Amino acid sequence: MTPKTDKRTDFEIELQRIDKDISELKDSVLTAPIDTEKATRFVYRFYQRASLTGNFAELEAAETAVNNAIRQGIGPAADLYLLKANLDFKFHRLADVRRDLEMGPGLADSFPGRALEADLDFQEGRYEDARKGYESVILDDRTWDNLARLAYLKAKMGDVAGAEQLYDEAEDELTAKEMRSYAWVELQRGVLDLTHGRHEDAWTHYNQADRAYSGYWLVDEHIAELLGAQGRFAEAVALYEKLIVRIPRPEFRQALGELYTLLGEPEQARRSHEAALAAYLQSATSGGVHYYHHLADFYADVREDGAEAVKWARKDIELRANFSTQAALAWASYRDRRFAEALEMINRALSSGVKDARLFFQAAMIHRSAGGNGESNQYLQMAAEINPHYSNFHVHR
Amino acid sequence: MADHNDPNAVNSIFSDIDVSAADLYDLFGFPSDDTTGGEKVVIALTFASVPEAGVFDTDMLYRIQISAEPRVARPAKDDHSLKALLRYFDTLKDKYLGPLKASEIRVTVDQANRATVKFIDFPGGSFSTVVETNKVLTIDSPGGHSIKTFIGGRDDAFFNDLTGFFRSINYAPQFYYVPHTMADSRELKIPKTLLELEGNDLFNFDPNNPDWGYQGVKGRSSDGFKKDLPPGPLTWTGDRFRKDGNGNYRFVYSGFDCQNGKNINAIILEIPLGFITKSPGHDRIVNTWGESWVLKAANKIETIPDHPFWLEHPMVLLDAIKLDAELKKYKLVDTDGQPFADAALSEREDNRQLGANNFWLAPHFIKRLAHLGWGFGPSISALGLQTSFDHDNSPVSVHKTYSLVTEAFPRVKKTLFQELNMPDDSWNKSGLNIPLRSPLEIFVPNVCAIDMDTTGTWPFGRRLEDQVATRFLSMFLDMEADFNGKKYHLELLNDQSLWDHAPIEPKTPPNPLKNDKEFLDHFPYLAEPWS
Repeated sequence: MTPKTDKRTDFEIELQRIDKDISELKDSVLTAPIDTEKATRFVYRFYQRASLTGNFAELEAAETAVNNAIRQGIGPAADLYLLKANLDFKFHRLADVRRDLEMGPGLADSFPGRALEADLDFQEGRYEDARKGYESVILDDRTWDNLARLAYLKAKMGDVAGAEQLYDEAEDELTAKEMRSYAWVELQRGVLDLTHGRHEDAWTHYNQADRAYSGYWLVDEHIAELLGAQGRFAEAVALYEKLIVRIPRPEFRQALGELYTLLGEPEQARRSHEAALAAYLQSATSGGVHYYHHLADFYADVREDGAEAVKWARKDIELRANFSTQAALAWASYRDRRFAEALEMINRALSSGVKDARLFFQAAMIHRSAGGNGESNQYLQMAAEINPHYSNFHVHR
Repeated sequence: MADHNDPNAVNSIFSDIDVSAADLYDLFGFPSDDTTGGEKVVIALTFASVPEAGVFDTDMLYRIQISAEPRVARPAKDDHSLKALLRYFDTLKDKYLGPLKASEIRVTVDQANRATVKFIDFPGGSFSTVVETNKVLTIDSPGGHSIKTFIGGRDDAFFNDLTGFFRSINYAPQFYYVPHTMADSRELKIPKTLLELEGNDLFNFDPNNPDWGYQGVKGRSSDGFKKDLPPGPLTWTGDRFRKDGNGNYRFVYSGFDCQNGKNINAIILEIPLGFITKSPGHDRIVNTWGESWVLKAANKIETIPDHPFWLEHPMVLLDAIKLDAELKKYKLVDTDGQPFADAALSEREDNRQLGANNFWLAPHFIKRLAHLGWGFGPSISALGLQTSFDHDNSPVSVHKTYSLVTEAFPRVKKTLFQELNMPDDSWNKSGLNIPLRSPLEIFVPNVCAIDMDTTGTWPFGRRLEDQVATRFLSMFLDMEADFNGKKYHLELLNDQSLWDHAPIEPKTPPNPLKNDKEFLDHFPYLAEPWS
């Protein structure tokens, strides 16, 4: 919340503060003797800036800065490896995350290291271990972000009341000095409502996030999805178009393409989809793995090209076998008419215990294709119970 | 970006641990010398001058809680058992959580830097007013009491060799960059000590780098600096105190004033005793403690400008229900009652910021005191002084922690129960039969207990000119011993003649003897801020 006299958004103010800090700290990493604390902060600010803007090129630059700092022995290794682990996590390089946690002295046993370890468990499908990990670190370090981690797990496992309670507690930990974090938690609460068909409640949380931290593209992106889910396609398109000017991410272009399709504008849809696909492939070609999931999704649902979808879904599942990648491979196999494989994989995803309308819808379709009409109807009913609007526009998160 | 939950997407990996307006520094409290119109008590709560001296953080709420009572009974002199001690804690608990209800002064500051001051649950009722900051003002209560007020920037009234203190407890963040991921590497597992330990290269004074650990301290030859934390082991394996070629020990303190030239923000009040209690003749002890609270994120959004009614009618009687609702919007961050109650005795753990309600810490207090005793006790003995701590004649400080109170208690029994002698009788301005205080009474509960029949010098309150850091160390002296024909007392370690004859370098009292700026002899007493 900015004072009324300041026309800048909270996002702009924070970005400028980080830029100022980076500029002031630059000398400390360029001039000998190097001030370790300042040098670490300098690298961290790079990471912060990249996270704030959501810009992949900046994240890659931050990664280079972190790697250089580690190589040159600037700053405490544990802190730098923690940064590196977080970057690797963002990029879905889970094996690297594990290696980073081992490389940083004492990092694996530290509170942030333990939280990341639990995140890894979650990503690698060890849900019970993840739950225990989160609960244990919360016991020792009751921070908003650890509470939010556990809330997310509970939400996925269908314990909506438990998730809401934890989000409540997470927000209670946050003070007026952490409005961006508060906005982020509000967004998660909004997503929880949206995925349960409670659109008005989602609006309340998204508006709250916007008031808490103005000018945040992440809020706009969630609002654009919600508009789409409510069938307000033109408004959603307008917001995505604005968003893409600020943050030209391919997944936004894919969402825009889907909205144009829904609006009955195939040419616009085609252009957006092609731009999205080109960027996904460019990332994969240059060694990036974080868009595998989107590629599988894109080929399955936009192109309906089962073989390509299976190819990318398999690559993704090699990195992290969890309900999400299993469902993606199942859906891709379904598109490729490999119904037996699809059935096996969707059953694996379902065995995770995750309760998700989209997952149940996919299970229904796959079971139907395999001749299991009874199960199919049951899954459709389960999907509708969670979210009556499960077939509406949604983005992949 | 990623199909997973990622709170760190909002880049909260390293919390920015900046100096915060929530960081309370000191609570001073003493009877005013100005008795015109009746007795008054001066209370000053000081905290970090963020965003700057005289300008307040609008997300903060400060509370000063006050309760007046007759002098508290303590365990019988001859019953220094653990059982009696726990009974004493129970009595306090019953009192503070039961019938005793503190009055309170609540302060918030708005965007225009005007302070809203709420007086809550005083005998004359509750009321509120809006005042300008950085001005000496008088607030008139509905019952006709005049309360002097100053809310603004001042010189930091604390004078202390903070670097020396941190060296004495081997507090790494003062000397090293401690990685964020090594939260447990703060007080290193090295004996606490007043004298340098032979081979303790992690903390011993480095003559080639005299400003090491003095970062941000004015008056040094350089800005000071920290070192990188070495890979380890972060321990000490020696067996003696360090001595120079002349056989002198090296003091961990230098007497340098690390608060030199620094400003703070403060809430300073001079309150008639008759406003605090209906029975000023009976309630001679004014207990007070301060708290800082920060607005919760969810409530920041709801913040609306002060209602015009408040501005037009500054004197508004408060609705108690509304006030409780107000406090629920904030989160307690820090408390302050006794100096060093948190830093020295509670290891600065956030979850131990309990203020007056620190009874549950009583077992921890005993164990922590024993831990400190194993450090400071042998140091005192090495200097040829008598200590109140039972360290089995250990020739050197020992790093020892306790998990059981029953093991720690016999070591600290004397330290806990001994009366702390005053250097002379000047503290007892009334000449009444006022018992001396023991550390036990001073630190549990964590309140500044101002005795209105004394000058309010520590521990009968806390006056600005009190060198409390050194007085704190005196707890570990044996108050039954003599020095130059006089019983040990709270000011002994401030006595230059003691150090002149001690086998130690530098020959100085541990902390500076006076503030860097003269205090005022009139309200608001704290000196003008540095420009």
